[in-house]
Amino acid sequence: MTSTVSAEGLSLHYGGTRALDDVSLRLTRGVTGLLGPNGAGKTTLLRVLATAVPADRGAFTVLGNDPGTARGRQEVRRRLGYLPQTPGFHPDFTAFEFVDYVAILKELTDRGARHREVRRVLDEVDLGDVRGKRIKKLSGGMRQRVALAASLIGDPGFLVLDEPTVGLDPEQRMRFRELIARAGEGRTVLLSTHQTEDVAMLCHRVVVMAGGRIRFDGTPAELTAVAAGRVWNSAERDPGAKAGWRTGTGSFRNVGHPPAGADLTDPTLEDGYLLTLDDAGVEVAAA
Amino acid sequence: MRLSGALLVPVLRTLPWRALGAAGAVGLLIVSMARLSDAADEPLALNLLRAGVLAFTLGLAFVLDDPARHTTTPVPTRRPARHALRVALVAPVTAAWWTAAVLLVPDGIRPPVGDVTLEAGAAFTLALAASAAAVRFSQAAEPGQAVAGAVLTTAVLGLLLWPERWALFVATQDPKWAQAHDRWGMVLVGAVVVWGACGPEPLRRRVVLKPTRV
Repeated sequence: MTSTVSAEGLSLHYGGTRALDDVSLRLTRGVTGLLGPNGAGKTTLLRVLATAVPADRGAFTVLGNDPGTARGRQEVRRRLGYLPQTPGFHPDFTAFEFVDYVAILKELTDRGARHREVRRVLDEVDLGDVRGKRIKKLSGGMRQRVALAASLIGDPGFLVLDEPTVGLDPEQRMRFRELIARAGEGRTVLLSTHQTEDVAMLCHRVVVMAGGRIRFDGTPAELTAVAAGRVWNSAERDPGAKAGWRTGTGSFRNVGHPPAGADLTDPTLEDGYLLTLDDAGVEVAAA
Repeated sequence: MRLSGALLVPVLRTLPWRALGAAGAVGLLIVSMARLSDAADEPLALNLLRAGVLAFTLGLAFVLDDPARHTTTPVPTRRPARHALRVALVAPVTAAWWTAAVLLVPDGIRPPVGDVTLEAGAAFTLALAASAAAVRFSQAAEPGQAVAGAVLTTAVLGLLLWPERWALFVATQDPKWAQAHDRWGMVLVGAVVVWGACGPEPLRRRVVLKPTRV
């Protein structure tokens, strides 16, 4: 499949901290999940790819445009949707007014066409009924959807979503998954998340980051396969396990290097993720 | 042009009118003492005007605050254009405020209007330049409070520690009045340069040559 976003050797330092360290990746159409513990560099990578901050080193292209030039960055921004980790709003604006404001900033100057587009994206995120309500009166989940609607303005070819399901209840999360899945049809979506279930349910590909580097890049099935033969059940917590926890049935589920004769069980995506982090030298109990 | 027209109303609504209003009211209250006090003379009127300008400057420090900054950063409308529109919308209010402040000082004790207007203009531009620098070098969506604090601290320290030979805050009778206003002109130019330099979003960061840790 042809890559729509291509990055080579992206590095970025904040003071003495290396937030991104020689990151290279290629994205294709569909939803790509970005997993990693806090401080892994996920948000930094997303902000760089969304042209919100420039990298110190490296280069990337989005839909054939180079954001390293002023004109290229403009072109990228015309075709980009970005949902930040903590979206900010003008709380006195209604949902319609805020998305309309973003639409103007995205250079949709024709009032009639713009208002049609605003109504379309608000309907797409199921906020058509509350579009006249002030943002400060909306719930957290609704505000997230307002931000998602704003990111969908102009039918962007590349959508960057930074932990969109954080703080949402299970029903809202399910709803958001539907929206993201729909958004991923025909677009390139990069979804940063802590939820391995989000990745398992939505993504055709997953990238794991830790310490500013990419530690895994493959399909969710391949990430799950990392843990094949490395997950086992036992009556007591296995002290040799990298991570272990008591399950609802009372037995312990252990992840790591199983002892001889261990009761091996099928791994999950989360097991593969934990072991990938462990292989990268990240303390998995804290991940 | 069409874009600016479309942005006019939403941007007008996002401006920090409360902060500007409060700062403007405090500033006018301070300046009005020149009219209310029987003992007011030109040096006092000058100091009251300067204090009023400082108060209004603190309000201007909030002009570039944008709670939706992170949601609206990667849009094709350039940051300098958005900032320029905000400033353009505040400019008439600032001009009206300054006119009111000057008129509040009775004729007989009013300091030279051109010179004090230069001081006020430099102070206002400094606040905007500081805000632009805060936006450029930090990720804060609403740096106004920090910028206002910095402006206030700088003003107080400037009054106390500024070297005499480069004096800015001189009395009208002082022989160095004209020289001081040459310096105010330089402050204004410097502020404009800083503001202009901090406006555009960088395409590349400068590499930090410090030891790194992961």
